[in-house]
Amino acid sequence: MAAVNAQIKRGSAELAVLTLLAENPLHGYEIAKQIEAQTGGVLRFDMASLYPMLHRLERKGWVKAEWHTLPNGRRRRCYRLTAAGRKQIAPLRAQWRAFFQALESVTGFQNA
Amino acid sequence: MPDWKQIVRKNLGVFEVCSPEFTEELAAHLEDNYEALLGEGLPTEIAFQHTLGQIEGRRRIWLVLRFLQEELMTGFMREAALPGLMTSAATGLFYWTLALGHIRGNVIWLLGGPLPLWWWCLLPICGALGAILSRRNGRSSLQRIAASLLPSVTLGTLILLLFAIGFTLSGFVNHYQLVSARLESLGLVPPGFAIIPAAFSLLGAAIAEVRTKKFRPLA
Repeated sequence: MAAVNAQIKRGSAELAVLTLLAENPLHGYEIAKQIEAQTGGVLRFDMASLYPMLHRLERKGWVKAEWHTLPNGRRRRCYRLTAAGRKQIAPLRAQWRAFFQALESVTGFQNA
Repeated sequence: MPDWKQIVRKNLGVFEVCSPEFTEELAAHLEDNYEALLGEGLPTEIAFQHTLGQIEGRRRIWLVLRFLQEELMTGFMREAALPGLMTSAATGLFYWTLALGHIRGNVIWLLGGPLPLWWWCLLPICGALGAILSRRNGRSSLQRIAASLLPSVTLGTLILLLFAIGFTLSGFVNHYQLVSARLESLGLVPPGFAIIPAAFSLLGAAIAEVRTKKFRPLA
């Protein structure tokens, strides 16, 4: 699978994380693993990209983090989507759709 | 099981100071990663080294930089203070370059002393720089003005502070000539190094604003 440029990856990360959290709350490691699994390893987040981004989303009020104690007694900081975050998904999707349509019209990448 | 919290504290001490919660979160991530590798059948030592590799060397530096970028470079810092700081640095650089090149400020004698005309002429560049950087990072016109004016405001504050200290000390010394000299320079220094530079910086910011609006791509 082709590697994805860091800038593109960074831009798409917020949408990927918000979409994932729309389903259910997850902690950082689960978010990273689920995105990696669902994208077949194309999108892969290391700690340096994932956690600062999660904290940024938290500051924006799009996600809320809470410490949960798991059945095995370990504490994990779980992120859940807020109402404000849920509202962001549709505009972000629309932006990405417009971006891909524009790109497609220039490069015809769907037929490439 | 390795004590990942301790390992994170040892490798990334800066987080323990800035955000202990972040330390715990990273430790939890490493713990999960380590256990997942063991679950895949990797030997303990290899799983440990592989997990540790995520917070060592180049990755450690990158993690710290990203953390600082996200945690500290927010709001006012990103939109006004940093552009203002860059503007101040450019202003200082121009001033010292002129001084080193022996391009002295004795060009005009407006208020009974030398004033840095050539430096003023370069200040619109600094003002424009502040405004452009602020526009790139921020939104409001007020923040763009603040960024381009920061050097003048800082210099002005510093000058007034120095004068206040100077006058207080002169009062103790009770030396008429000293007070008189200070009053004379009070008429020269603030305009020369704060008020007029502010005007020149604003001019640059205004030009940058007009140019950016003129060449803004159609949405």
